[in-house]
Amino acid sequence: MSSASTPSAASAIPLVHVIDDEEVVRDALAWLLRSRRLLSELHASADAFVDWLDQREAHDPRPWPDAPCCLVLDLRMPGTTGLQLFDRLVAQGRIPALPVIFLTGHGDVATAVATVKRGAFDFIEKPLANNALVDRIEAALEHSRVQLVQREVALGRQRALDDLTDREREVMGLVVEGQPNKRIADRLGISVRTVEVHRARVFDKMQVKSAVELANALRVQGPADGTA
Amino acid sequence: MPSTTTATAVPSSPRRRFALWVALLALLAVAQSLLVVLTLSYENSRAQQEADDVATDAATRLRQSLLRPLPQLQAMAVGLEGAPSVADLFQTHRALRRLEWRAGDRTLRQIQDSPWGPPPFAVLGRDQLALAVDDACSAAQRDESPAYSRSYYAPLPGGTGQELLDLCLPIPAGIRSQGDAPSWLVATIALAPLLEQAAAEPALARHELQLVGGDGARLARAGSRRGAGTYLGEQRIDLPGSALLLRTNSAAGRPSLIPHLNTALVIGLSLLLFAVAGLLARDTRRRAAAERALADELAFRQAMESSLITGLRARDLDGRVTYANAAFCRMVGIDAESLQSTPADAPPPYWPPEHAAEYQARQAERRRAGVPRESSALGFESVFMRADGERFPVMIYDAPLVDGSGHHRGWMSAVLDMSAQRRAEELSRQQQERLQAGARLAAVGEMASLLSHELNQPLAAIASYASGCLNLVEPQPGIDRPSAGPSPAGSATVTVPVSAAQLRPALERIAEQAERAGRVIRSVHSLVARRRPAEPQTLACAQLVEAVLPLVRMQARKCGARIEIALPEPSQRPLHVSGDRTMLEQVLLNLSRNALQAMDDPSVPSERRVLRWRIDTDAANPERIEWACIDGGLGLPPDFDRQRAQAFFTTKPEGMGLGLSLCRTVLEQHGSQLHGEPAVPGPGAMFRFSLARAPGPGSEAGVAASPRTIGSP
Repeated sequence: MSSASTPSAASAIPLVHVIDDEEVVRDALAWLLRSRRLLSELHASADAFVDWLDQREAHDPRPWPDAPCCLVLDLRMPGTTGLQLFDRLVAQGRIPALPVIFLTGHGDVATAVATVKRGAFDFIEKPLANNALVDRIEAALEHSRVQLVQREVALGRQRALDDLTDREREVMGLVVEGQPNKRIADRLGISVRTVEVHRARVFDKMQVKSAVELANALRVQGPADGTA
Repeated sequence: MPSTTTATAVPSSPRRRFALWVALLALLAVAQSLLVVLTLSYENSRAQQEADDVATDAATRLRQSLLRPLPQLQAMAVGLEGAPSVADLFQTHRALRRLEWRAGDRTLRQIQDSPWGPPPFAVLGRDQLALAVDDACSAAQRDESPAYSRSYYAPLPGGTGQELLDLCLPIPAGIRSQGDAPSWLVATIALAPLLEQAAAEPALARHELQLVGGDGARLARAGSRRGAGTYLGEQRIDLPGSALLLRTNSAAGRPSLIPHLNTALVIGLSLLLFAVAGLLARDTRRRAAAERALADELAFRQAMESSLITGLRARDLDGRVTYANAAFCRMVGIDAESLQSTPADAPPPYWPPEHAAEYQARQAERRRAGVPRESSALGFESVFMRADGERFPVMIYDAPLVDGSGHHRGWMSAVLDMSAQRRAEELSRQQQERLQAGARLAAVGEMASLLSHELNQPLAAIASYASGCLNLVEPQPGIDRPSAGPSPAGSATVTVPVSAAQLRPALERIAEQAERAGRVIRSVHSLVARRRPAEPQTLACAQLVEAVLPLVRMQARKCGARIEIALPEPSQRPLHVSGDRTMLEQVLLNLSRNALQAMDDPSVPSERRVLRWRIDTDAANPERIEWACIDGGLGLPPDFDRQRAQAFFTTKPEGMGLGLSLCRTVLEQHGSQLHGEPAVPGPGAMFRFSLARAPGPGSEAGVAASPRTIGSP
């Protein structure tokens, strides 16, 4: 999957956001994460997290998250509840790259399950706050990393597609359809040699080595505008 | 009912009806007397008329008979051919008594007496009675026509006499043959025969006739009987030279009243008879209507009686059943006939054999007592037996049966089958118990949930710290998996030497959190440990509040609410109440929990999330202590007061509706009531109740009633 040039997100330092109203719980989780060499950012409430996020985006216009990260979110909190925060994040479209693990009391399991169905990464019942939790956090971070890498690859391809000339885009379309160069030359009314040049340029720009790889990249990317 | 409709029509009419009757009778009397009077006066006038007619008739007749001999006499005087002889004349006219021929100077020339009567001048000579002749002849001479004299009385031998009248006829001179020929013919006529002749007419049979002279003296009378003097007729008989008055006197007297009164009575009586007959017909019609109404009423009663679910039973003095309605038969499962045909000495079939002796004794006792005073509204309980042998409790209300003549005839009893009611009571009791048990269970569940939440936090913290410490002490291979992502260290396997200083804060935290968890457990334990059988105790209000405060605080923290508790100043008398500690604590817990749950809604802003407990002496009654639980939540639904009486009524989506119900029950057991009302100032709700103040134990009061305002997160 990963190509020769590794996207930046893959190498960024992962960060765990812990949102819980109980100071002791936050502190204990941070301690546990540190013992597993994970960095954590602690927030006293959902509102505090939202404030933090707003400030972050005010300073840095890049879409957040730009590094692998995950949210450990207490379901029941005074003020904005975990559930409300989750709904807001879903609405903002951050969830695929931002896995959310809910911390729940035993009474809230049903709610937590419902959130998982709506895209939360997982939920952990409250007293269970040991390495198993950290394992899930790591899995979430990995998930986040993969999402970010995919996003970056896709962004790169889009950029490459945008770089193609019209002629190159035409040639690419026919190549992806599986036409031999000769037929492409006939169809476009140009020489086979020219077709070969275009084809080489397309392969170069799209950073692929074969027509199959090109087709694969385009499928992942979605229908490239200009071709079909 | 029909009887009432007739009754409403009557009230005003008896007086009116009486007046009508009086008026009718008065009219009848007036009509009757008028009838009598009119009849009498008619009869009067008719009799008078008849008398007048008779008088006229008789006068005519008399006049004719007076004038009838005149032509013959004239013929005789003139000496006409064919003139009757004197003898014929006397025979024809029996009233003619004497014929005299007189000279011009009225001296007698010839006398002829009638053979048909006594000689008129036998007693008193003609000379003495010549005055009348002179008068008549003078008149005749003057008029040159026959003239009658006035009447005069001539006695007869034997003491009687007769009234006579002279008729003087002048004999014309030419006829007189000789010079001394008589120039007057004088006929003497007796009036009485004439009158009798006239009276012989059948028409005059009932009348007395009298001839009256010009001087009013009676001259002659005739007629079968004496006149009554009531109906008189007078007729004047004019004769040449004289006049007579004929007076008739009817024998019919004044019509008497009595026969007419009888007629009137008969008429009146028959009228009355008609009236009575009419009244009778009306009465019969009314009676028929009343009978119909009675039948309707009877049917109505019958229906009422058979629709009763209360058993009715009548017994005579011996205890024999004389009547039983359908409900009673249904109740005991025996039909009325076999109930009534039970012999007097045998106990009724619905008496359970084991109680028969007792019942018999009771019956005998009642019979001795006789008719009790009126108020026997208090029934007594008993046990009856159904036909299938099943015993069932009944409530019996007895009333003496007294017949129309005031004799005590027996007893009428209303019998209520209590088995259904007993079952219902039992069911209600069980339900109440289940409800309380359910409420306790709900409270326990709530507590468990609270506990788990409260314990979760320290336990989660402890678990985290402990895991972290373990991770540090013995690094696990998993930590250093390459897949764990790029760690800041980036190395494959690291064995970090862990110093005690590194572990210390975590271990301290673990101890701290364990301590915290222990406190939670203790607070619950202290609440639960006191579950002892209920016995009223003297409780300090502050202690009650303190006991539930930890649990309330836990929940308040969960929904971010503050708690304020207002107790009176320490200088005042400390507040004590009497009651069951556990129950009252449960009430405080439930109300607090309700209040907190009412505020645990996203629409309630955090500054409004305050739970207040206000405990103070009741302003209205210093012997009671009022408790008020005020929240700033969503308030009460409009029909709260009506609904909350029902068990399982709840305003909360997940509530069971047991909390308030339990509070209500507990407070009722403590002689109080729970009031729910909108909080002032709103929004929110206030629940309040008051408990009787108990005299404090004194010494420990100071400790218990330390007034304060306690804030929580």
